[in-house]
Amino acid sequence: MNFDWSVVGAHRDALAAATGMTVLLTVATMAIAVPCGIVVAALRLYAWTPVRAVATAYVELFRNLPLILVVYWAFYVLPIATGLGLSPFATGLAALALNVTAYNAETFRAGIGSIRRGQLEAAMALGMSRAQAVRRIVLPQAVRRILPVLASTWVSLFKDTSLVSVIAVSELAYVAMQIRAQTFRVLEMLTAMAAVYWLLGYPQAKLVDWIQRRYAVTE
Amino acid sequence: MNFDPSVIIEHWRFLSYGIGVTIALAAASGAASLALGFVVALARLFGPRWLRPAVVLYIDSMRAVPVLVVLIWTFFALPILTGLTMSPFVAALIGLTVHLAAYAAEIFRAGIESVRPGQTRASLALGMSRSQILRRIVLPQALVRMLPAFGSLLSITIKDTAIASVIAVPELMRQSETLAGQSFQPIEVYSFAMLVYFLILFPVTRGVDRIYQRVAHLGRS
Repeated sequence: MNFDWSVVGAHRDALAAATGMTVLLTVATMAIAVPCGIVVAALRLYAWTPVRAVATAYVELFRNLPLILVVYWAFYVLPIATGLGLSPFATGLAALALNVTAYNAETFRAGIGSIRRGQLEAAMALGMSRAQAVRRIVLPQAVRRILPVLASTWVSLFKDTSLVSVIAVSELAYVAMQIRAQTFRVLEMLTAMAAVYWLLGYPQAKLVDWIQRRYAVTE
Repeated sequence: MNFDPSVIIEHWRFLSYGIGVTIALAAASGAASLALGFVVALARLFGPRWLRPAVVLYIDSMRAVPVLVVLIWTFFALPILTGLTMSPFVAALIGLTVHLAAYAAEIFRAGIESVRPGQTRASLALGMSRSQILRRIVLPQALVRMLPAFGSLLSITIKDTAIASVIAVPELMRQSETLAGQSFQPIEVYSFAMLVYFLILFPVTRGVDRIYQRVAHLGRS
């Protein structure tokens, strides 16, 4: 067995660009999935019953599907259904956003639902308007419960971006496997890929632990 | 857009084989990761002091690295290192187990730690041994409390088996890819796969919730 680790150094620019793409995918997906998640959660909580049923069906469907299947499905079905020639990046982003929006919607719904109704009523009895009560009483408590969950969704999302490699989005997993195929340095490239994910993911996982301790709710 | 489901009926045996492999892989890796996760949690909580940092590093590393990376590394890189070749199924089983056991270990740890230390002290005062306390006092309460978390872990396990398609395990995702490529009917095939995964996963998550509601009172203290 002889290993040639110089292959990693020789492709460092490509790996760095691919790492940037992974981070970009994570940030862009979250930027879409947080507002959309709030909208879907609001629809599930307050909308007209048929709309509520549609929102519920959407959330349950995407929470119960493997993401890799959603990625393939988006790749083949979205161009036909919409008539648009989407780039792999846009397709991957759409699949990730559809998936994460469903999880976020559930997070927001649970966060708001976890604040007992009596608190809102008590605030209104003290003379606050409904908007004031929601802003000053319900939201500050809900945010404490939502934030740690969003943080762990973030880490899951960061890892799940690797799945869009199957439709040739040039993020870290895809690029590393391409270089592996070109150079035949299988062990070196795959280990480098794992190491980059580890270096980025480990601090995030630790940060999530810290956020969860910091915002722990004791009742 | 025309939708022709006959491709599913024609290749029913091919697809149902994939469903069988998906279920077998999920069951095997689920059971193996439970067993490994329990050992890891015990090592983290009660193991020798020198072992604990290594256990924590293992758990946190698995939380930091995508399961796709673990699977690909196990299948392509591990044989180079060890000289042993493995079938895709065995590689997927090893990769998924090593990945999911870290999550299972965290669930066991959180469950065991959720039982108040006063109960352990009281049992010690009554003359029970450490293993007796774990077996008779702590685990019966902790296992009930862990149930919802294990329900989500089971659902994650089933979803993660689909990622084994990238190392050519002939489970439902892989069979669907192959059939979609050969029949040029990706919409029908992938929509069918979505339906099957949903029909497997939805009852699993709902069923665990149901069971938990039944037994939740047993975990209170």
